[in-house]
Amino acid sequence: MAALPAMRQLGCLRSLMRTPKFSPMHLSSRFISTVYSKKPEPIPFPQNLPQQFRSQIPIRLQPEQAPKKMKVYPPPPSSRAVCKDPVAHVAQSQMAVLDPNGERKALFDYRRNPRSVKPGDIVRVTFKNGDPFNGVVLSIRLRGVDTSVLLRNELTRVPVEMSVKTFSPNVQSVEIIQRSQRKTRRARLYYMRFVLELLGSPPENLLQFRALY
Amino acid sequence: MNPRLGKLLQLSTPLWGVQWMPVRSLGIRSLNPPKPSKYDTGPGLPVLESAPEAALRRKARTTPHRTGAITIKKGMTAIYDQETGKRTPCTVLQLDRVEVVSHKTPKQHGYYAVQIGAGWKHPENMTKSLLGHFSAHGLSPKRHVCEFRVKNESGLVPVGQTIDASWFQEGQFVDARSNSKGKGFAGVMKRHGFGGQDRSHGVSLTHRSLGSSGPGQGGGSRVYPGKKMAGNMGNHQSTVQNLKVLKVDAENGIVVVTGSVSGPKGCVVRIQDAIKKPWPEIGPAATAESEIALTEEPAATAAA
Amino acid sequence: MIQLKSLLTCIDNSGASIVECVNVLKKKRPATIGESPQTRVMGEEPNGEWRQSNSLGNRLGDRIVVVVQKSKPAGSEAPTSSALANKVRRGDIRHAVVVRVKKELQRPDGSVVRFGDNACVLVNKSGDPVGTRMNGLVGQELRKRQYSKILSLAPMHV
Repeated sequence: MAALPAMRQLGCLRSLMRTPKFSPMHLSSRFISTVYSKKPEPIPFPQNLPQQFRSQIPIRLQPEQAPKKMKVYPPPPSSRAVCKDPVAHVAQSQMAVLDPNGERKALFDYRRNPRSVKPGDIVRVTFKNGDPFNGVVLSIRLRGVDTSVLLRNELTRVPVEMSVKTFSPNVQSVEIIQRSQRKTRRARLYYMRFVLELLGSPPENLLQFRALY
Repeated sequence: MNPRLGKLLQLSTPLWGVQWMPVRSLGIRSLNPPKPSKYDTGPGLPVLESAPEAALRRKARTTPHRTGAITIKKGMTAIYDQETGKRTPCTVLQLDRVEVVSHKTPKQHGYYAVQIGAGWKHPENMTKSLLGHFSAHGLSPKRHVCEFRVKNESGLVPVGQTIDASWFQEGQFVDARSNSKGKGFAGVMKRHGFGGQDRSHGVSLTHRSLGSSGPGQGGGSRVYPGKKMAGNMGNHQSTVQNLKVLKVDAENGIVVVTGSVSGPKGCVVRIQDAIKKPWPEIGPAATAESEIALTEEPAATAAA
Repeated sequence: MIQLKSLLTCIDNSGASIVECVNVLKKKRPATIGESPQTRVMGEEPNGEWRQSNSLGNRLGDRIVVVVQKSKPAGSEAPTSSALANKVRRGDIRHAVVVRVKKELQRPDGSVVRFGDNACVLVNKSGDPVGTRMNGLVGQELRKRQYSKILSLAPMHV
């Protein structure tokens, strides 16, 4: 059958049919990884060794020379574990004084509170000294205690922009005079600077600039 | 005393004889111990101005009486004054397991200082010699270690005593040392604020470089030491002086100081009493705290 | 941030309408109406007083010297007060107090104010305004600086 010329091409597979022969030498040459062997356990120093034989043992193996166990002390309780975020802790203690019932926070939390001040609203801020400031809200910067609102108005034909820290003790009250009729498409209405410049004071021309956004 | 020296001596001694053991010194080994000068010793001779004693005397007025503390910069926020409505930007620092590790004394090291450790480091990640330094004093391994100079012996707080946030008082002033943010290799315009050179008028390829590095033949034809040049900017220690302590929270280890402090969030900030302000009067609270810590420490070590 | 060559509007009835800054008095920085909060923090004394420093003397004033570049037409005023209408004319050199700036001003409570223009009021050497009326708002910072006369003349302060 092997002589059949048609089968001759299969001769290349002949080696697979052979039983493989592995000699120990073969093995050692093929595998270079070594077998793991455990570190030998140190032989304990003989307890009842007479003193005169001690000198025969190398100095490094003498029991006096054995490495001393160092005592590592546990750490004291950590203040870092008690207070993970000290900045938030300080900020919260501030908020507890500045805004005890969370009203002011809700008033400007425009991402969560639907009744809050939103960009485009007209707002009146009354300061502690009695001065009011009206203006269109151009942007609200939510930063915890440092939350601020950017208001713009035109007073005596001079454009005035005021960024007010909403939790400042100087701010007595904030009230919404007029809400924007439509939801604004952006959170920062800086382009209103140019629009308002064209139209003048917002309360008079409110309906006009409403049409623009 | 070098502990290795003891071993060498042991080799020469007979094994059955009395074992000579070196006296263990638990302090910091001085690399540069003070030596008496050849020139200014003698009866009736004044101390030379160049002598270390004279230097200490000059610095005595501005050396703090108390040690400082290692803190971690946590970030910035603002504090409002309820009455005036004034907003003060402030930096929040946190003390974490700050303890006295060792002392430095004039006899051994030439000056008084307190070595302070803070945080905790896994003992496996620490060299054995440093681990021994902490273990010898019954302290856990510390992540940050540094020393604070103090004026005299009364400033040497006992080893092992905890320094918590109540070490500082609200209203006192502190100096804050920390490493600034690294800016990498920076040119002279950014690093030293040089003006650079013209955009045009024949200048080619050297618009942001320094002009000349010094005079020619008249000046010695060399570049003087300290010449401002391009190089690594930032990541060097910077001290901000006279920061007012606005808030102290011993429970959470928080110290709030006015203004900004160099470095990124999470960096090590060393704070100590401001040298350009009157020294703070140590209140009864701070001393009481230290006494409690003192009485507790030996008990804790004995229990461990 | 008023410096050499800055053009300001003059908001009083002294007759000047546009003036140019030629000098900032008593400080080496551009004039403004506020004080830089940074310098105040650094200059605080233990007793709470502000240190008066010469180089950072933002406290001392925002007086500037101006040249009148454009004066208001004299005929605009009522004929009876025409003699009074233009106290200054083009080319006059006068002292002035900055009352509005375009550059943002930070107040002690952290709020920031920005006006739409730079404006000033002409004053004489003793600090009293030259004009008798003012048409425009002024910054509140003037209150701290004893310019009460300007404040009382102004229709509004913010």
